[in-house]
Amino acid sequence: MSEQKITQDFIGFGLGLRTDHFEYILQHQPAIDWFEVLSENYLVAGGKPRYYLEAIAEQYPVVMHGVSMSIGSTDPLDMDYLKSLKKLSNDINPKWISDHICWTSIHGVNSHDLLPLPYTEETVKHVAERVKIAQDVLGRRLLLENVSSYLSYKDSTMDEWDFLSQVAEEADCLILLDINNIYVSARNHFFNPLDYLNKIDPRRVQQFHLAGHSDYGEYVIDTHDHDVPPSVWTLYQAALERFGPISTMIERDANIPDFPVLYQELLEAQKIAELTLPGHPALSQSSLAPMGAISPMSTNEDLIQDPYQLPSKKVAV
Amino acid sequence: MSQLRQTQQAFMQYLLSAKSDNNLVDIRERVSDQKGISADHRLQIYANAYRIRLKETMETDHQILGQYLGDELFDKLAIEYLDAHPSSATSLRQFCDNLPAFLRTDDFFCQYPILADIAQFERLLLAAFDGAESTRADFTDLQTLAPELWPDCSLRFHPSLQMFSCKSNAVESWQALKAETAPDAPYYQQQRYWALWRNSERLTQFESLNQSQYVLLTGFIEGNDFAHQCEAMLNWYDEQAAPMMVLQTLQSWFSKGIIRELVIT
Repeated sequence: MSEQKITQDFIGFGLGLRTDHFEYILQHQPAIDWFEVLSENYLVAGGKPRYYLEAIAEQYPVVMHGVSMSIGSTDPLDMDYLKSLKKLSNDINPKWISDHICWTSIHGVNSHDLLPLPYTEETVKHVAERVKIAQDVLGRRLLLENVSSYLSYKDSTMDEWDFLSQVAEEADCLILLDINNIYVSARNHFFNPLDYLNKIDPRRVQQFHLAGHSDYGEYVIDTHDHDVPPSVWTLYQAALERFGPISTMIERDANIPDFPVLYQELLEAQKIAELTLPGHPALSQSSLAPMGAISPMSTNEDLIQDPYQLPSKKVAV
Repeated sequence: MSQLRQTQQAFMQYLLSAKSDNNLVDIRERVSDQKGISADHRLQIYANAYRIRLKETMETDHQILGQYLGDELFDKLAIEYLDAHPSSATSLRQFCDNLPAFLRTDDFFCQYPILADIAQFERLLLAAFDGAESTRADFTDLQTLAPELWPDCSLRFHPSLQMFSCKSNAVESWQALKAETAPDAPYYQQQRYWALWRNSERLTQFESLNQSQYVLLTGFIEGNDFAHQCEAMLNWYDEQAAPMMVLQTLQSWFSKGIIRELVIT
């Protein structure tokens, strides 16, 4: 195994770029390290989304995150889709491009869901081969994200973490580790989430996702519509201990709060990283800054009423 | 066929028609029994998510159609449209592209042609919203053109420009619901015409056209030149009035930002 570093350096703490926040970001230029953009939302010819994306990408580092590569499908790879991703990446110059280790479509029908794969040698070979092709088209290493899942297959012969590790190794790709998805799947499949973290090769992990979920007691659904819960923060801390400072973002796709509220949550991620990795030089490069003299008891409404409490972006991020 | 492909086929068949027991059996045999909830329940989570996600897309893209129909009929539409048109696109943006045609041909919904008109109008608003960007020409571009070149002059339009025509009061109903007022009962009269586009402030706009304006605009879109279009206007105006009408209408289009460039053929 080569010891050469293949991941990019830590770029700090980011948020998912959401339409609700377009105007706010351009107007206030918040001090945030980067944004993750959902690629499919911008594979259009023009209009408002593209205008805002290009304006924001001029001012902040961005990464592209997709949901439609269907890298595990047995349909042929959608080369038109890959080419459109490549074109978007040429336009906005993302730091990296990611998608999910799953399948979404078969026989040309798209479920628009991140469906789980059976964890077999056959699937490892199949997915790895397709990742190599995608990487050739995109001209860079792809990041694959672990998905949350609600079922497993009888013909699986290995654990999810071994499957992800083997695909990453065989395809020579990188990993986007979704800490919330590990927690959700651990609850649904009754495994220890630390086993997952401990089996992933730190050399390949380039990004973390954090998010909230819906807990139904007997099972947990990955909904991205809540704050990051304490259970996920705890697992995040364990992930930092194992992997060191990893570029981290919070995903929020529904019930989206105002930008300052999400920023406050991102500060929590930064705080946990600083407590877990005290004095680590990489963390000092983040441009995130505390939001003025906001009382810990401040309500969301307080934050919304005075958005100027949010620190502005530094000149050089 | 590989095990993986068989599993994916069985899973997708289940998602597309989760109510059918036959489709459950095949995928059910492939799913592990685990602690906690049953395998059937685990599969049901995916089936529910599939239908909820696509129905939410319909609600987002066709908000006014949803209000016009009411919850019960919109639920019926969502179920039947999902069954008739599973998504084949990588983006949910295209999922409802077949909705106007579905409403026009479905045995039940085709009884109310205004529904297809409202759906089509909403699709065109979306097309105007994310059409490609381009430069916009100014009226002075035409004014500075030598008069002898005008007859051979044709126009290129902003990529967001969309044309709409219907016989129902679909647009008026759409406007009423958007303003949170009750729409009139559906009625069908002579053909009505509309142009939709995205302005330079990136806001989607639309306006009604009379028949001569519609013919003028569609003729220019098809590549006809100024002389040809002035002649076409003789169906509505005399020889003196026709060029003036064309000029005034062009001036209005320039000011609205829907003309991309002048082309001399």
